[in-house]
Amino acid sequence: MTEAAIKVEDITYSYGDLLAVKGISFEVQPGEILGFLGPNGAGKSTTIKMLTGQVAPKSGVAQILGADITLDDPAIQARIGVCFEEKNLYLSMSAKENLDFYASLYGIKDPDSIEILRRVGLADRAKDRVKTYSKGMRQRMMISRAFINKPDVLFLDEPTDGLDPVTSASIRTTIKEEAARGAAVLLTTHDMFEADELSDRVAFINDGVIVAIDTPENLKLKFGKRSVKVRMRDGSGVREEIVALDRPDSGDRLKEVVGSGDVLTIHTEEATLEDIFIQMTGRGLVG
Amino acid sequence: MSRSVSRAAIVSAIVKKDLVEFSRDTLYLFLSILGLVLFITFFWIAPKTVNETLTLGVHQTGMDALFDQYQEGANASEGLRLVQFASEEELRKVIAGDLEYWQSEDGSQTFLRDKAAGDEKPKDAKRVDVTIGIGFPAGFLEKTAAKERTTVTVYSDAGVPSEIQGAMKSFVREIAYAIAGDAVPVTEPSQENIILGTDRAGDQVSLREKMRPMLALFVLMVEVLSMASLVSSEVMNRTVKAVLVTPARAGDFLMAKTIYGTMLAMSQAMIVLIAIGAFTQANWWLLLLTMLIGSVMFTGVAMIIGSAGKDFIGTLFYGVLFLVPLMIPAFAILLPGTASAWIRFLPTYGMTQVLTGITAYGLGWTDVWQSLLAATAWVIVIYLAGLFTLKRKVESL
Ligand SMILES: Nc1ncnc2c1ncn2[C@@H]1O[C@H](COP(=O)(O)OP(=O)(O)O)[C@@H](O)[C@H]1O
Ligand SMILES: [Mg+2]
Repeated sequence: MTEAAIKVEDITYSYGDLLAVKGISFEVQPGEILGFLGPNGAGKSTTIKMLTGQVAPKSGVAQILGADITLDDPAIQARIGVCFEEKNLYLSMSAKENLDFYASLYGIKDPDSIEILRRVGLADRAKDRVKTYSKGMRQRMMISRAFINKPDVLFLDEPTDGLDPVTSASIRTTIKEEAARGAAVLLTTHDMFEADELSDRVAFINDGVIVAIDTPENLKLKFGKRSVKVRMRDGSGVREEIVALDRPDSGDRLKEVVGSGDVLTIHTEEATLEDIFIQMTGRGLVG
Repeated sequence: MSRSVSRAAIVSAIVKKDLVEFSRDTLYLFLSILGLVLFITFFWIAPKTVNETLTLGVHQTGMDALFDQYQEGANASEGLRLVQFASEEELRKVIAGDLEYWQSEDGSQTFLRDKAAGDEKPKDAKRVDVTIGIGFPAGFLEKTAAKERTTVTVYSDAGVPSEIQGAMKSFVREIAYAIAGDAVPVTEPSQENIILGTDRAGDQVSLREKMRPMLALFVLMVEVLSMASLVSSEVMNRTVKAVLVTPARAGDFLMAKTIYGTMLAMSQAMIVLIAIGAFTQANWWLLLLTMLIGSVMFTGVAMIIGSAGKDFIGTLFYGVLFLVPLMIPAFAILLPGTASAWIRFLPTYGMTQVLTGITAYGLGWTDVWQSLLAATAWVIVIYLAGLFTLKRKVESL
């Protein structure tokens, strides 16, 4: 088995008296996307801050690519890529100038900035100052900056937050490409669809604690209801019935319903990740 | 993939980036150039000789003997000419510009001309500009000698520079002391008096020469603001975070800002110093060294200011908070006479002393090395404070 790219054991962090991360543990393998799903204030960004060496954990240990994060080793930092929650770009410089600058901090002699910008659809605007970019363009720019050093570990903090569906979809595609290349990806989001679509595994994080961590499938199986909702004509009105799928008589009841000829629609009652989140924590993902 | 990148390469990459950003910041570019032009202009319009006379209007009664005596002494050393007026009202009107004061060529005859009332121009006479005057109350001499409080009025045209207005106040005070002799205690007995620059009686230095060190410091100060804004924009836009998750470290970041800021401050200071003729064959290397230490010091201050503020207003607040006290020693040079002891404890005191010594009094290495050492010690303190402030700030972002 290969060594985990990210290995976290019981780390905590507090801002003054506020305990923001309360002892979390997880691993991310090379090529794997781990989705950190949780509401605002759950501790997602703080976890990324610790793992990228911006702040030191108050307790616990964590390793990136086998090296302890508190060592702040430039050789390790050279192999990570970070997409921050805030769009911290140099606005008076062009996209290419931004990328070239970051490349030089990694010691990359002739960076392929235009090619990277092409991947996020910004190649034709490469020479324009970032100041003139729309919100979505800046976000794509953020993503491309995280890719500049072909990182082995990628930290993406809410990479599609507040974007239109088209832009979000294109960003997700590039993230999948990076994982396919072999990068370990830690991605935070409060969007259950994004977590579901992108993540190999999802960690539910709430109030500084990981309450569950598994593949989206397993989470749905474990916590969701296996049932279908059937809408049927009932005289002049419409009637709904929930048919469980995990009982001995499930098959018979389903046949009966379908055979009646009154069925209008059938929907699976599979739980969404948010349903499960609410079930486990008593709170939703938004607000 | 593993690469290694040298610290020097990282630092130079950040410096290059800063230069690009600076060249795009048209406001700061404009301000920097405007600053340069203004500073050089200020210098060349300042009075260039000590002998340039200032005419002081005076109204007094019962002190003729004293004034005749004072005037003789004053004319010889300070370029101050006294003109006496018969009434305080006349004095006031002349300074307000309602009356014109004319003097015959030999100074033996004087005329007051009320232009609005249609008075002719006096013949064989020239107009003398009186822009500042002092009205002594009747019985001033006796009352002051008896330690009674009296009110002396200083009249001044709005155009009179504040340092000259200040000089008038000390002039009045000196007169009062002279009259009262030892009997009157000095008003601020707890203060030690310091003469800024080197006090050499008879070795007078003109306002223009005094402006050299002040302008040198002003250039550095303007640089502080543009440097601080550069650091604070990296802090406020959080770009510093993005830099620090790469192989670059906080020390590299600060080092880059220091090099960049020092380069910028030095190049501007050089332009101004050359333009105001501060360099001589004898002092050039000492002046360069002093300006280098000064540039580094002010860049350190900029780092503290830039990383302390939360937003633009915060940066402005910290800017004023730090810069005003740092400029005090420079202003003290312009104000005649004395300054309080606490000024010695300001980081820029030593710098200012050295700059004044070098540019106005022709002092050399042996005269100033101690002050330079003190300035260097301050640089170290300021740097450590800057590094600490920045690291704390980045962690809280
Ligand atoms: N710089 C900071 N100073 C003080 N408290 C903070 C700071 N950043 C985050 N917090 C607090 O820490 C908790 C976790 O925040 P964060 O990690 O940003 O959550 P998330 O990214 O999941 O929205 C929240 O309660 C937040 O208010
Ligand atoms: Mg966050």
